[in-house]
Amino acid sequence: MAEDKRDFKKRLQKITFKALKATIKGTFFYGIYFVLSIFLSPISEIFPGFLQMIETFVMVYIFFIIVGELTSGTIFQHFFNTAKALFLILFLIFSLKTGLVGITFQNVSLIVDLRLFLTVAILLSLLGLAKSMLQAINFLNQKAEHTRL
Amino acid sequence: MLSIATTFFWLSLILFFVSAVYSVKDVRLEFGEPQVDTTSDYKILFSLPITVDNKGYYSIGSFNVTTEISNKEGFIITRSSTFISKIEQGTEMTTAHNVTIDIEALSQDNQDYLFNDTELEIHEIIGLKLAEVIPVQASTNFSIPWGAPLYNFTLGKIDYSPYNRTYVRAVVSISFENHAFFDLTGNVQISMYKSPNVFLGQGQTTVNAPQNVPYRGQIELTVPIAEISENGYFEAYFSTPFFNFGPLVIPYG
Repeated sequence: MAEDKRDFKKRLQKITFKALKATIKGTFFYGIYFVLSIFLSPISEIFPGFLQMIETFVMVYIFFIIVGELTSGTIFQHFFNTAKALFLILFLIFSLKTGLVGITFQNVSLIVDLRLFLTVAILLSLLGLAKSMLQAINFLNQKAEHTRL
Repeated sequence: MLSIATTFFWLSLILFFVSAVYSVKDVRLEFGEPQVDTTSDYKILFSLPITVDNKGYYSIGSFNVTTEISNKEGFIITRSSTFISKIEQGTEMTTAHNVTIDIEALSQDNQDYLFNDTELEIHEIIGLKLAEVIPVQASTNFSIPWGAPLYNFTLGKIDYSPYNRTYVRAVVSISFENHAFFDLTGNVQISMYKSPNVFLGQGQTTVNAPQNVPYRGQIELTVPIAEISENGYFEAYFSTPFFNFGPLVIPYG
């Protein structure tokens, strides 16, 4: 009975710690977004909908951070991390398309060539995806070894 | 370790991108009053002073301004570029973007430019590299009026008066308005024909037509009495420092 109580306390502590870590990470990420959005606000005047797009991205990304943190220590953490990396790649591809962002305002057309940025960002995202997959394989390996022992 | 490296690269990339874009607000691009002048080889010169004040966080690379002037059909008359390889952070640079128009070549393409006012299409492109790595290009189209130097060029009625027993003096009035950006001085020569290859006589006059001032003048020719006919045509030749053009065939009678 006493052991069960201690076990429950331990689990509660673990979950509280995970929730705290997830909250801190989410808040930190949102903080970065908040600061950057101040600098990016002039762009939204030129590209309407730009900040909404970033906002959607940040919301989904924070969701993955929180869920990944809450499921840490399980295989689901790696699933969510992989999903996060995939989401990032797809978001970049769908939002920046060919990397040439253009807008026409009255008689003036403006084109920003973000191909270099897109390439570097996708390469970094692929690195993140590879890392998540390797971590998942490593996790399963360790678990299999643990079970055998 | 990989996580730290990835995070570091991500943060560097995002911070660089955001700061490069944000610093655009501290870049001042100013166009001065366009000047119209003529070059020493008698071409029209449009000069646009451009000032770039780069108070941003990074240097600007490959700054270039390109102007394409074309006619309504899209035929490119002239193209000019001004290129500055680098504008250092914290510096102000002033340059003149010059575009020249060769009226000689223009009149050979289409004589309408000499005799009729029209509009020229301008395609303006401004390109630069933010922080020397992010290419940005802005372009616009607009049109400017083109004033013909010999607008509404007409030859008036021929006035004949006796010259000698075999010849008469023929006086032909000429008129036009110089709508061009420059004062027109030159020579107008006309040849009178009764029918193809039957030459009657020729005369010339010097014209001096300031901008937007109607010009009226006369040209005297001596014509054989026996050959005078009610119908025929004139061939007009224009010789000015800006262009040489002819023949312009104008029938009479």
